[in-house]
Parts: sequence; C-alpha cells; structure tokens
Amino acid sequence: MTEVNGVFVVAHELKSPLALMRQLALSIDLEDEKSVVFAKDKIVSTAERAMRQVNDLTKIARLEDGLFELEPVSVRGVCDDVTRELRYLYRENHKTLKEKYTNRSKLVVANREMLYSVIYNFCLNALRYSDEETRSELIVKDSGDKIEIRVRDFGPALPVKIWKELKYGWISEPTSIAMRPGSSGLGLYIASKFARFMNGDVSAIRHRDGTSFILKLPVSKQASLF
Amino acid sequence: MKKPLIYVIEDDRDMSELLTNYLKRIAEVKKFYNAISAVNNIDEDNPSLILLDILLDGPDGFTFLNEIMSYQKTAKIPIILITSLEIGAKEDLIDYGVVEILNKESTTPDEIREVTEKWIDRNVKNN
Repeated sequence: MTEVNGVFVVAHELKSPLALMRQLALSIDLEDEKSVVFAKDKIVSTAERAMRQVNDLTKIARLEDGLFELEPVSVRGVCDDVTRELRYLYRENHKTLKEKYTNRSKLVVANREMLYSVIYNFCLNALRYSDEETRSELIVKDSGDKIEIRVRDFGPALPVKIWKELKYGWISEPTSIAMRPGSSGLGLYIASKFARFMNGDVSAIRHRDGTSFILKLPVSKQASLF
Repeated sequence: MKKPLIYVIEDDRDMSELLTNYLKRIAEVKKFYNAISAVNNIDEDNPSLILLDILLDGPDGFTFLNEIMSYQKTAKIPIILITSLEIGAKEDLIDYGVVEILNKESTTPDEIREVTEKWIDRNVKNN
C-alpha cells in the first residue's frame, strides 16, 4: 500500500462509522427511551467494528516485528466464535449464515486472531453484499494438505479487475475507488496480508449471482484434541 | 391530508433507519437499500422527494440520477444527496435534479428535516 493512497483509503473507510456514530448521537432524544437504547446499541456495535479494523491495520504494520506466533488452531472453534458474534447482525438484517463442515483435518497452522479476523471480514462482507432475504454460506472442507474456508454470498459479483488480482496473486493495496460499490476493499487487503503471513492464500470465485471468498491454510500435523 | 412520500435510498441499514426516523413526522418514508429496487417502484409511487446516498451496493447514486433524469415522468423529482463523499458544487448537479447536498459528517437531524420540508413544500406548490 503506497503511503498516500493507504492513508486516503483508511481515512475514507473510517469516515463512514464515525459519521454514523455522530448521527446516532445526535438522534438521541432523552425523553424517548427507545431512541436512547437504539442509539446506544448501534454506537457500541459500530465502534467495535471500526476498532477491529484499526486493530487489524495496527497488526499489519507490525507483521515483521515477530510479535505474532503461528500455532495449531481449531478452524471450527474460530468459525463458531465468528458466527456467534455475527448472528445478531445477520438476524437484524433479515439474513442467515449457513455453516457446513466436511473437513476431516481439524487444525490449521495459523495465528488465531488473524484467522478470526479473515473469517469475520469474509462473513461481514457476505452480509453486506447479499441481497435481501438471502442466505450466505460458510463452508469448511479439506483441500489436499490444506483446509479451505469458503464464504459464499448471493448478491452483486466481484468486479473482474479485483477477481483477476486475487486470481493471480493477492490484493497488494486497497483501491481508492470502490471495488464493490461502497467498499474500499480494505477488508480484502487485510485478509490477503494475514493469509500470506500464515502461509495461506486468499482467492475468489465469481458467480452469476454472487461471489465466494476462499482462504486456504496449511493443515497442522499435530493431533487434534477437538 | 395525506402525507407526501419520500424515498430514502441508502445502503447502510442503520443510516437508513435514522433518516427514516428523522423524516417520518413530516412525510411517509419508503426505504430502499439499492438503486434498482427504487427505480422499479418510482413510476408507480411518484415520490415528492428523494434522499440519495452516492456509494450504494450495485449501481451507484450517479447511475440512479442518470436513469431518473432521462424519463419525463421522474425528471423533475427533487433530489437531496446525503453523502460522505466530497462531490463538488451543487450547481454541477442541478441538471440531474439535485437541489441540495448534505454531508453526513456535518449535517444535523434538524437540518435534514428543514431542508427536506422546504423542498417538499416547493414541489407540492409547483405541482
């Protein structure tokens, strides 16, 4: 990410939650308890999502400092935590996230927080870009000596330019214009960086009715206790 | 008297909910999370005013502006842009029916209500 472009993209990405939180705060009518509860809940969840993104960016800046360890991580455990956290948001948006696990290998070599962040980003992306009343899918399966974690949404397909970039490598920088409308692609950039650090790959498949984002991580040879 | 109808076209559900809450006292509000569903309904509904975000899922706000200004029936509907993007002067967008540009980062609920009310009144008088 070039410095100027990176600063621009991050600034733009953080403007949306800040603008929303400001509007939420202004909307509070102290005599209307419903408006207070609504604004409080939304401010908290919006701030948490923005903080997660800032934390991820901080990690990216320090990837080479040797601070983050790779270890055997249970994919199912991380997926369960992500879906538990996002269940409320999916329900609120009248959407569902269906999970399907067929993987025989249970552990991958990963950094748990980074793996969580990538799956969280994929699932949040699917929520955002799915059409009304549709179901997104989180599918985990074996793929040779790797485990594949795939999130499929049913909405507008990923633009060809971005698909090609993912197909032939990885996202080297978020674009300063929308990749899919309304998105700077910062989430994908973060996912690409984390995947590479964990010796994995991020890729995407375009469908006529949506997109699948895929993360592949090496299987851990350690015996699973799960 | 029947309340005028306003379209709120905004893909962020929370922002859309907020705008609806701001405006429901002065108008009937229909929410759309993308431009396509709004275009599919606009001929039948003939709204008095549209609040439009620019960065939308699918076709963006500018595509929507081009679409509705190209039809006689919808070309004269006043449009208020509400966005975080810096998109220049209102004068450049007058031909697209844009009557006001509100910045999400600096506007207030009162301002949104006042501006909306002003343009609904003008539109009702002109028709």
